[in-house]
Amino acid sequence: MNRQMVISVMSKDRTGIVADITGAVYELGGDLADLNQSTLGGYLTMILFATFDREITPDMLIDKIDAIDSPTKLDVVARDLQEPPDPALSALPPKTYIMTTQGLNRKGLVYGVSSFCFEHDINILDLATTIKGETYTMVLQLDLSRVETIAEVRDALDLYAREQDLQIVLQHHDLFKVTNEIPF
Amino acid sequence: MLRSDQILATVEMIQKENLDVRTVTMGINLLDCRSPSVSHTCKNIEDRIGEKAGRFVESCNFVSRKLGIPVVNKRISITPISFVGAGFNRDDFVELALSLDRAAASVGVDILGGFSAQVEKGLTKTDREYILSLPEALRASVAVCASINMASSQKGINMDALAMLGPTIKEIAERTADQGGFGAAKFVVFCNQPGDNPFMAGAIHGVEEADTVLNVGVSGPGVIARSLEKLINSRKDEENGLKLDEIAEEIKQTTFRVTRCGELVGRQVSDMLGVNFGVVDLSLAPTPKVGDSVGEILHILGVDAIGAPGSTAILAMLNDAVKKGGIFASKTVGGLSGAFIPVMEDALLAEAVGNDDLCLEKLEAMTCVCSVGIDMVAIPGSVDGDTISAIIADEMALGMVNNKTTAVRIIPVPGKEVGDSVSFGGLFGASPIMAVRNVGKSSRFIGWGGRIPAPIHSFKN
Repeated sequence: MNRQMVISVMSKDRTGIVADITGAVYELGGDLADLNQSTLGGYLTMILFATFDREITPDMLIDKIDAIDSPTKLDVVARDLQEPPDPALSALPPKTYIMTTQGLNRKGLVYGVSSFCFEHDINILDLATTIKGETYTMVLQLDLSRVETIAEVRDALDLYAREQDLQIVLQHHDLFKVTNEIPF
Repeated sequence: MLRSDQILATVEMIQKENLDVRTVTMGINLLDCRSPSVSHTCKNIEDRIGEKAGRFVESCNFVSRKLGIPVVNKRISITPISFVGAGFNRDDFVELALSLDRAAASVGVDILGGFSAQVEKGLTKTDREYILSLPEALRASVAVCASINMASSQKGINMDALAMLGPTIKEIAERTADQGGFGAAKFVVFCNQPGDNPFMAGAIHGVEEADTVLNVGVSGPGVIARSLEKLINSRKDEENGLKLDEIAEEIKQTTFRVTRCGELVGRQVSDMLGVNFGVVDLSLAPTPKVGDSVGEILHILGVDAIGAPGSTAILAMLNDAVKKGGIFASKTVGGLSGAFIPVMEDALLAEAVGNDDLCLEKLEAMTCVCSVGIDMVAIPGSVDGDTISAIIADEMALGMVNNKTTAVRIIPVPGKEVGDSVSFGGLFGASPIMAVRNVGKSSRFIGWGGRIPAPIHSFKN
């Protein structure tokens, strides 16, 4: 029976990490389903799904990766999946919104905004932050599927923005798609 | 996920640069509302508008809140009223205007266009009655806008209608003298009037259209101005420097984004209401708000006074780049599509009139390359009707010969002369009175009547 696994890797960035990890998966008879990687401040992190045509356990995979002669330390977590990843979950939900938040840089900004999302049952699908001078900018891709009315969230958000002295804008993802991509 | 810089650029367009969807206009067919009596016709009209547009404003607001982009105006256009009221007299037409006013108020729209007639080749008895009703109809109603198409490249210019219009415009202004002649700001005269233009005062639901159609007008002169400032600043230290073709490209790309927002809103509102989505009109329409001016773009692109030599060339480039950017962005582009230069509605154009930088003749030249015409121009109340007719005739000739839409919305402000100014408030704006030269010297021309025949290039069959 096929075994499904989700694998996460973190390392100081260098050339060859993706080749090393996918090579180990390949040698154990694994087929890569999906992979996402990102780098930040000289570090790399990646998450991938793999399906194995033989009885491979997460520990066997970790041992295989540990055996790689890597100049950087590869921190790996692997978990068995009971069910294959649902492709529908990779598609964006219809109520995908983009929230941009800008304000003077200080501690706890991301914590505050993400707590706001949690309190309102909003899932964060993606988050990127940048700092330019004193201004801290967060761009969050959010799933508002469980939110009852957008108007209520907007009101709560306006209040939060005033309290925290932040500029927060919440707009539907479609708006960004149409202004930046050719297909409608 | 989209890149953060793309997202921030879009957010900036909406938050800081006045990007909005300027108008969503629902066109409604009223042809079958005609009934033997005017009172019953009025009832049919009000029922029809209530039925089609009852959820219109609510749907626009919903989509606006959902997407996070302002939809500034929600409006209605109707089948030109002269068709709906065929056979009625002038008093009946005033009743129809009041009925339209009630219908607009009941569905929550501030302006309704289509109190109109199409007379480019000849006047029917109804058309004459309609024209005679205009001063009272526009005085007594609040939301109703009127327009008349009296010339086309295909049919020529109807000079009999034209002769009636100068004095009519004067009378409209005089009947609303307590509001500075505001009635005349609700009446526009066209050559080649499009049947799917969502912008007021000239919006109509053309007889060629389906029962109900939604047209969207995007705008955003502020967005263009800010993007040009940014581009110019970022390139100012370069040795070879920025060139005009690169500037045109920037306008094109910015217009693309602006248009896409309009398209998105239009399609979503159409889906909600279950009506056909018509066109996106790409016009850059200024408002009196600071930073939302077409005049400012002329300044940024290099003329220190609006109306200075070069102004027409810049406007030609702007108009063309706006069309090019927008056409690719939308499934169906229509309406007027280009750049508007309504003097009273654009703070910098109005200022140029006060500084004597912009005169009527230069404005007329600029209208050859922009999308409409002599728009929202306040002139002395003492200018005679024939001179006003002749100003319109010149503008009609430009449209007729150049195969484009041109229009005149001119306000002879009662009791005001050059040196005075007039303000209508809100989106209609304010302006010093513009001088008209050679007043009273065109009456013999207007006195001919008849028609100016269609130009040679209209014979294409």
